[in-house]
Amino acid sequence: MNDTAFEAMRRAVVDGDADAAAAAASAAIAAGIPPLVAIDEGFMPGMKEVGAGFAAGDLFLPDMMLAARAMQRALNVLEPELQKAAVERAVAGRVVIGTVAGDIHEIGKNLVGMLLSTSGFEVHDLGVNVSPERFVAAVQEHRADIVGLSALLTTTMTGQRTIIAALQAAGLRPPVKVMVGGAPVTGAWASEIGADGYSEDAMGAVELAKRLVGAGEAAR
Amino acid sequence: MTGPRETPRWDRLGPATAARLEEAALGILERTGVEVPVPEALALLRDGGAAVDGARVRIPERLVTWALGAAPTSVTLHDRAGRPALELAGRRHYFGTGSDCLNILDHRTGERRRATTADLVDGLALAEALPNVDFVMSMYLPSDVDPALADRHQAAAMLARTRKPFVLVTYDLAGMLDGLEMAEIVAGGRAALAARPQLGVYINVTRGLLFNEDSVRKLLACAERGVPALWIPVTSGGTTGPITLAGTIAINTAGVLAGVVLAQLAREGAPVVVPGFGGDALDLRTMVDPYAGPEPKGVAASLAHRWGLPMFSLGAGSDAKVVDEQSAAEAGMTMLADALAGGHLVHDLGYLESGLTGSHVQLAICDELAGWINALVRPVDVSDEALALDLVDAHGVDGSYLELDHTFAHYRERWYPTLFDRRGHEPWRAAGATTMAQRAATRVDQLLAGPRPAALDPDVERAVRAVVDRAEATAGL
Repeated sequence: MNDTAFEAMRRAVVDGDADAAAAAASAAIAAGIPPLVAIDEGFMPGMKEVGAGFAAGDLFLPDMMLAARAMQRALNVLEPELQKAAVERAVAGRVVIGTVAGDIHEIGKNLVGMLLSTSGFEVHDLGVNVSPERFVAAVQEHRADIVGLSALLTTTMTGQRTIIAALQAAGLRPPVKVMVGGAPVTGAWASEIGADGYSEDAMGAVELAKRLVGAGEAAR
Repeated sequence: MTGPRETPRWDRLGPATAARLEEAALGILERTGVEVPVPEALALLRDGGAAVDGARVRIPERLVTWALGAAPTSVTLHDRAGRPALELAGRRHYFGTGSDCLNILDHRTGERRRATTADLVDGLALAEALPNVDFVMSMYLPSDVDPALADRHQAAAMLARTRKPFVLVTYDLAGMLDGLEMAEIVAGGRAALAARPQLGVYINVTRGLLFNEDSVRKLLACAERGVPALWIPVTSGGTTGPITLAGTIAINTAGVLAGVVLAQLAREGAPVVVPGFGGDALDLRTMVDPYAGPEPKGVAASLAHRWGLPMFSLGAGSDAKVVDEQSAAEAGMTMLADALAGGHLVHDLGYLESGLTGSHVQLAICDELAGWINALVRPVDVSDEALALDLVDAHGVDGSYLELDHTFAHYRERWYPTLFDRRGHEPWRAAGATTMAQRAATRVDQLLAGPRPAALDPDVERAVRAVVDRAEATAGL
């Protein structure tokens, strides 16, 4: 019985069908399926399937976005039930991301933010041309586990170093992890400026974030 | 809309579709307008009859029509000696390199690594030596200089190492002014540079409807000095514009026209060059910005021809990671498309990996492709000498032409390849059974080992270097 319900949830997310996802969530509540179970065994497998399809180059970004939208509609339906049951959905980690000061490129950063969101992270996107002070303030405000710094230009990537220094000065390092990205950024650059990680693409950034959160937990 | 119109060999749009896109762009300019965050520019636009609200400028059609009539229909770039070299007008096309590759695919080691000043110097020497490279851009972004001043080093290197026309790319207004100062030193003053420019200035504009401050200030400075300005807004389908080709090109075209208006308001007759490309979309499977997508080819070129404006096109860039079948095919097809579209300055020869990596070998292959394409578009000579009817009359139905003086006089007029192999199988095998890429690498090594005749007069070069040194001395102050 539940298998059919989980299949409808997975299907709704994979199809990017928000109405079907909301209906499947309502049906789950009516059938007495606990909301966390519906999320973990119904909707999340659909999300993972779409993510894997995107990573493999079979699916397009809009497929991911439609799946995420369907997932969100289901969560909106399930949220009151979660509150009633006084359970909190586990968050993979809290991430503050932005494009460094002087740089207005946003596409890569937006993509990383979206993929992190769909992978269960709580993402606070500060936008573009973000000063070191705003990064520090946002990390403190949102109790972030990870900061993601984007820079597309050789002239602005030095800003990543400045922000790491600012986090250091604010006493937030090393518990708060820093990951860097952007066309001119390399692993060597990440090491040089003392970042905790670098990824060539957005999918890799999600894997990196999961590793960094895991490392942070282990250190605590 | 006014302006002389010359039909290119390949008019992608045709009059009806072009008219609809133009109407759409004019409508965007009137309704949504463009953001121009520079007070001097806003004042010019207001005085010219545009509706200015904060930094937002809505431009009426009559102002665009006036500007298209005022803008020069032709821009001529000169060689370093001041001789006219490239006339950007009509159906013409010229091929040149791209700029600012972060990496080089080093053909000596096969390694993809950060580019250095030595690569920049070699690349410019290679571009100077290749016969079908008509103009140059910096090719590589040197990683061994202060990143904030790499544009000054590139400008100095291009001036010192090429006699061909070139396109200057700089980060900000200060970088452009330093580059122009260097060019004035080589040209013999500001008036000489304006009269016989060796360079055009590439101006990267954030989005179709959103102009960054530096781009606007650069455009005004170029207009004031009479230096050709390449006004290049970039709108990416699905991210900064509609995903559809028509929707993206309409937004970008609005930004292009607004730039032409601004340049003409700054100084009537200011030389401005518009994009012969645009309408690309991010690849939504890989999130890479593709350089060789088929759909946008020829669209912006059709519009530029409609208005009779000089243009800067984008061909030869490949999304391949190495020099291979993909890189050759993408370069060849896009170069041919731009040539048939009459794309004037066609840049990005030698680009791999969507502009992130450059390759000397790929550039040499593109030079060969350019030679083939140039022969393709050459007009057919139907003179009496070429028709040779007298020979047909004299030699009849079974004449043998190989030993005739006419053959000896004209056989060199046919295009002969340098890298394409036309040998028989055995001679090809005996010569090493090489691939095209191997032969191209050999040619690169030979050309780089040869003379480098483009050196500047030492006093002039010192004066150019002094501008770079000054920028370094004042950096960070």
